[in-house]
Amino acid sequence: MSGAVPESGRYVYCIIKSPGEKKSFGNIGFGGTEVYTLEYRDLSPVISNAAMKKFEVSDEEAEVHKKVVLQVMSEHSVLPVAYGMVFKNKKLLQVAMSAGYKAMKKAVKEVDNKVELGVKIFLPKGLAGKEVKGQYRSAFLDGLKNKSVQSKELKLFSERLILNAAFLVDRGGIDDFSAEVERLAEGAADVKVQYSGPWPPYNFVDIRILSRQRGGFR
Amino acid sequence: MTFILDDILLKEIGLEMPGVSLLWAFEQLRDFAFKELYNPDKIKGLIKENRLLFEFGELAREEYEEKNDELLRKLKLAQRGEEMNLQVRSDIFGAR
Repeated sequence: MSGAVPESGRYVYCIIKSPGEKKSFGNIGFGGTEVYTLEYRDLSPVISNAAMKKFEVSDEEAEVHKKVVLQVMSEHSVLPVAYGMVFKNKKLLQVAMSAGYKAMKKAVKEVDNKVELGVKIFLPKGLAGKEVKGQYRSAFLDGLKNKSVQSKELKLFSERLILNAAFLVDRGGIDDFSAEVERLAEGAADVKVQYSGPWPPYNFVDIRILSRQRGGFR
Repeated sequence: MTFILDDILLKEIGLEMPGVSLLWAFEQLRDFAFKELYNPDKIKGLIKENRLLFEFGELAREEYEEKNDELLRKLKLAQRGEEMNLQVRSDIFGAR
């Protein structure tokens, strides 16, 4: 993807509040390309130059996207953008920013200074029982809803999964939330609990204006 | 007016032709199996489950990677199938 000829496509990793001037996050993009901000009014898409192609779902490429977003997130509140969003050129990206500006401004306000934390409860092999499932599910949900701004139950993609939830938490409340997870997990020694994050608020931002499907404007 | 006598119409008026009904049942089974096998959401769920099993130490890295590669291949196929809209049964004779 890198080389003597600069690519005209623009891959978007996430959107942040404008830092006021072009900011570089280093050569951490696909193929070692520079990740930098583009100014659009008071918002900035975080982008890198990229070839116009369909980004395949692979662990390595998804990992690049994830790492960039996590690095940006360490300094800014981010609006996540789906993996694989590449625009043919800067102009088309600006058109998309213009179309989605209002929705983005609203979303930035909602997730500003907040992060997403994930909790999954997984039954060990051979342990079944509706009572156990219901009991843990409600204990975790009730306890953690009190420590978060918003919560969302996500798809149970495995028969052994009894809770898959995302919580939107103020940055300042992460320790408090983590302590509650620990307390609840101690009382649930017969199940497996996975606590993950902080993540960009993937499950609390749903802006489709950039494109109805993966791939942006072509 | 063109009158099309097909399996669905026969069913609607309460007529069952053994051969046609059996063929219909096979078609339903085939479509169901196809949807199950090439349902991108379902495959994405299996990818996540595989990852979770690895993270909880129930799968060795090699097992995880092998299964993950297989599922990613299936997902690509399923997504291509979806793009081509293979589920749509088109009337190649333009009868309607």
